[in-house]
Amino acid sequence: MVSMNAVLFLSFLLFSVGVAGVLIRRNVLIILMCVEVMLNAANLNLVAFARHSGTVAGQAFALLVMGLAAAEVSIGLALVVALYRKKGSVQVDEINLLKG
Amino acid sequence: MDPLLAHIGHYLFHIFGLMAVGGALALVFSRNAIHSIVGFLLSMLAVAGCYLTLSAEFLAVAQLLVYAGGIVVLFLFVVMLVEMTRFKDKALFQGQATWAIAATLAGAVAIIGVFWRTWFAASAPQALTLEPGLGEGLDVATQNAQAVSRGIFAGYLLPFEILSVILLVALVGAVVLAKTERV
Repeated sequence: MVSMNAVLFLSFLLFSVGVAGVLIRRNVLIILMCVEVMLNAANLNLVAFARHSGTVAGQAFALLVMGLAAAEVSIGLALVVALYRKKGSVQVDEINLLKG
Repeated sequence: MDPLLAHIGHYLFHIFGLMAVGGALALVFSRNAIHSIVGFLLSMLAVAGCYLTLSAEFLAVAQLLVYAGGIVVLFLFVVMLVEMTRFKDKALFQGQATWAIAATLAGAVAIIGVFWRTWFAASAPQALTLEPGLGEGLDVATQNAQAVSRGIFAGYLLPFEILSVILLVALVGAVVLAKTERV
């Protein structure tokens, strides 16, 4: 049987890698994918606790989070395409329109 | 669960977990965007495998459909649309990369410390149950999709409907954002 700690630890590792990717990469597409990895880590936690408590709520909410992640990706990629048309770049440090 | 699967599920989970972390690392550290996407795909497939070993079969299939079937293809489309070779000789990481890695590691050490103190007791996982009346005529342990659907539509109907509205808004918003100025 898979122990609770193993699942929590895996989820924590995935989340850390996602955070590191968001912080260090310059490509917007990679940053979006790292956000997806972080959402998946949270989902893994929800499933683990659903299995631990024997209720269906965790799995139901993981499903809802999955739908939300799909919506987020579609908006994010539309923004990336619009940004590329406007500025000709997908590097976050070249996008500084709000800089005073 | 199948006795054989119950026996090797432990090892399978570790293999899938290693694959998931390896895929995520490949996603973060590879230079080519396509390689990053392949790493992301590997990570998502491995997480689906983890769901299988955690006896969330419906979620595993949904993960395969949504991520491997939908989101990865969307990312591939955008990578093909954006001329990535233009950024080939630019620096891969931000200027604050060292600080970011240090901060992430410090957070990791803090969380591992908390984790160490609250080590969960090795209790057996509970079988999935539904409220009395909901699980009528259903073998909850083996019919995961039916159990999850009954759980959603009995207890979480409002979040489900709100999610459908959010998806509609995202659909319209994506079309508006991505279309050109003159149609």
